[in-house]
Amino acid sequence: MEATREIYWNVGHGVVLPMYLLTLMAFAACAYGCWKRVEVYRQGKPINRLDNLRERVTLMATNLFGQIRVLRVAGPGIPHALFFWGFVVLFIGTLFVMAQADFSQPLFGIKILTGSFYKGYSLVLDLAGLAALVTLFGLALRRFVARPEGLKITRDDYLMHGLLSAIIVTGFFAEGVRMAATELRQNPDLARFSPVGLFVAGQFAALDLQSLKELHRLWWWCHFLLVTGFIAAIPWTKFRHLLTTPANYLFVDLRPKGSIDTIDLEAEGVEHFGVDKVADLTWKDIFDADACTSCKRCQDRCPAFNTEKPLSPMQVVQQIGETACTAPQADLIETVGRDALWSCTTCRSCQEICPAQVEHVNKVIEMRRNLVLMQGEFPGEEVMVAANNVEVNGNPFGMAYAERGKWADGLPVRHLSDGEEADILYFVGCYASFDKRNQEVAKSFVKICDAAGVKVGILGKEERCCGEPLRKLGNEYLYQMTAQENIELIKGYGVKKIVTTCPHCLNTLGRDYRDLGLDVEVEHYTVFIDRLIGAGTLALAPHQFDYTYHDSCYLGRYQGIMEQPRNVLHVAGGRINEMQRSGLESFCCGAGGGRILAEEKLGSRINVQRVKMAEATGAPLIVSNCPFCLTMFEDGIKTGDCEGKLAVRDLAEVVAERLATPLEIGKAGPELTMAAVTALADVAGRIEPAPPEQERLAAAEGVSA
Amino acid sequence: MKILVCIKQVPDMESRFRPNGEKTWYDEGDLAFRMNEYDEYAVEQAVQLKEQLGGEPEITVLSIGPDRTVEAIKKALAMGGDRAVHIRDDRYYQKDPWQIASMIASYAKGEGFDLIFTGMQSQDRGSAQVGVIVAELLGIACATTLVGFSYDGGTITAKRELEGGIKGVAKLKLPALVTCQLGLNTPRYPTLPNIMKAKKKEIASLTPAELSGEAELTATAAIYPPAKKGGGLVLEGEIGIQVDRLMGILKEKTAVLR
Repeated sequence: MEATREIYWNVGHGVVLPMYLLTLMAFAACAYGCWKRVEVYRQGKPINRLDNLRERVTLMATNLFGQIRVLRVAGPGIPHALFFWGFVVLFIGTLFVMAQADFSQPLFGIKILTGSFYKGYSLVLDLAGLAALVTLFGLALRRFVARPEGLKITRDDYLMHGLLSAIIVTGFFAEGVRMAATELRQNPDLARFSPVGLFVAGQFAALDLQSLKELHRLWWWCHFLLVTGFIAAIPWTKFRHLLTTPANYLFVDLRPKGSIDTIDLEAEGVEHFGVDKVADLTWKDIFDADACTSCKRCQDRCPAFNTEKPLSPMQVVQQIGETACTAPQADLIETVGRDALWSCTTCRSCQEICPAQVEHVNKVIEMRRNLVLMQGEFPGEEVMVAANNVEVNGNPFGMAYAERGKWADGLPVRHLSDGEEADILYFVGCYASFDKRNQEVAKSFVKICDAAGVKVGILGKEERCCGEPLRKLGNEYLYQMTAQENIELIKGYGVKKIVTTCPHCLNTLGRDYRDLGLDVEVEHYTVFIDRLIGAGTLALAPHQFDYTYHDSCYLGRYQGIMEQPRNVLHVAGGRINEMQRSGLESFCCGAGGGRILAEEKLGSRINVQRVKMAEATGAPLIVSNCPFCLTMFEDGIKTGDCEGKLAVRDLAEVVAERLATPLEIGKAGPELTMAAVTALADVAGRIEPAPPEQERLAAAEGVSA
Repeated sequence: MKILVCIKQVPDMESRFRPNGEKTWYDEGDLAFRMNEYDEYAVEQAVQLKEQLGGEPEITVLSIGPDRTVEAIKKALAMGGDRAVHIRDDRYYQKDPWQIASMIASYAKGEGFDLIFTGMQSQDRGSAQVGVIVAELLGIACATTLVGFSYDGGTITAKRELEGGIKGVAKLKLPALVTCQLGLNTPRYPTLPNIMKAKKKEIASLTPAELSGEAELTATAAIYPPAKKGGGLVLEGEIGIQVDRLMGILKEKTAVLR
């Protein structure tokens, strides 16, 4: 017997017209709803997110059909992806039916759904439907029964789960009764290829043909009307993410991560800066709210939210969406709340994980810009003082600018202002220049470069704050002022390559300064050292030690530099104990987004939470790559009662102690080693009288190993 | 109402000071400059009063100093000053408070200011005389070291900081001069539109010769850092090292461990 089925069996070809009319109406309702949403988006300012279209379409296709971003959180991600693929298969299956029943067969007499293709088709569709139903059930259990913390249950969630399950179930019922009437006995060989349909058919096998036909009509129409209802409901419910989330993949920000629009301060007639109204946003900022599915992945990872601060990146995005819909004239800053805005560390974990590629961070920065530039507000008076200090002395501490290069006294460092030649410009940054603890990092880096024969130049007292904390706090004016001075200097000295020990300087000089006209290679010292080791220019004498490594936000998530530092530490003899949250999932130290300048008054302390995560690995040492992180961890170890259990060192310090040809430069060497011994001896709970340096080192390694 | 605010640009106090070649003032090399802290309170109070009176008063900012002084003037204009007068004087530091006050009074005499705000003192010279002398020369009421200010119908109620934590309240009728002390207010951070507007505001330029030919009453004989005495020693770093160093010092320099 032929392996096929009669399309429109029982319902008859007479349904074609009303069916298409209803479908058309459903699509019209959908289109109208979309248009109403577009009106909301159009309140925002224009921005071109359709350049490089080929790249965008490719990205959208891979992200959508691969469900790549959704799958990054496996728990709910795998069911969602299975459901999605199942539904896509069912959709394609329906297209086949349409192609045959309404085009190829009536017009050309061609039957597609026949023979072994139909058998395969039946099987695949049945399994796809089953997969969709099972995963939907699993997701419903998660949302409505397990109720993970932070996952909201709204009217739309009931609707979506109910409607989708009903569509699949009615589909199977229609199939089952049809099979009971036409296949179960007549063509059992074919029926085997629809296992779910076969099961349902079995339940109805006892009914007579007439009852089966009536039931079939009922289920067929139910299935069809539910589907039309689903199509019509897309733009009016959370179903809209079916359109908006893939569209958001298309509208993705293709600039380097962390790019912020550089305000043209010279623009004539512009008297409003930043965002405090919906109309100040771009259409994409409003669109983001519709692409958001409230999956709360951002919130789960937000360091502010996880330390009881009044910020949830998800909520910020949704508040913008609600305001755009219901009260476009409302003050967005009042709606979101100052404390929420100032709590953001711009760590980017929200944006990194977002399955809808929503851009959270720049929204916060734009609202901060309004607070600072239009209202002269800061998160606290201490931050205003820091800003004034940068203005006057080029550093947030208010230290005399003339002392900036003093840390390098007696070290093999060339001052570009003296006309000395150097292989690299070491942009030291404020912390390594002035902060005692971080000066050790600068000294270590110079020591390493010296051992590798690299001539290091610095700007000394001419260097100013890179402006990063100020920029992230919204003070674009002061950022540009200080940046311009640095850029003119760097250009003036004809610098070819810059190395930084600070990931914030790295991002700012390498990415942000491009908008202001600096185009010089900028590298983080971890990458630089990794290359020196790889090229054989730098030789290390490894001593074994156990450590855990903290990926700073601006090196890991922003720059994607995660392998090189680990490799350097491996070569140095390190045995890593990864924290649960590392790499792209790393947890901020709490100092990003200019928070390094602000007191942490709300909730619990982020740095303590991170230090506890490091302590949980059992490693006695946490290695950092950022002056802000180092500062936060030194503090967190003390306030978090981890002294004696955990010590923090910068990667440069670890490497400088393991140079194959140790150099005695200034006092840096011995003091550094001494600090290590004390820290590590504390770990073992014993303080020993200071033995000679080599012995001390060996002892220290023994303890950590 | 016409308001005058007298400000001075001074070096940042974190800087390292060295006497200049003449040994009568400090060398300006390697110094960063900013508006005198007390003058920021003066500007802020003037702007707050202007806001209180619905923007009616006109605020004139006056400063004496070399070209770099313009930066401090611009800041005061960005905070809310309406216009400025810059008395260009590269040798400002050779003038004593009497001469400085005479210049200001000479300018102010013809302008009919109702209210003059100055800082309590400058952070570099610290004479605390200029404000009171200006008031004396103009023959107007004066209250110093204000930590509180309110204005109502031509009368100022000034809360003054006195010795030993005591506060005093004085009432002054306009015209008057007040000098401002720490604690009076929190100076605002200029907004970007105001910074931009400030760039277009008028800064009139005058020379000292146009204002006053008064001779100095006190001459600076010499300026020098205090002689170094045996100061305290701060131990820093790892606690173990601190202990070792302390033990070493106690052994070497004292008898307590013998």
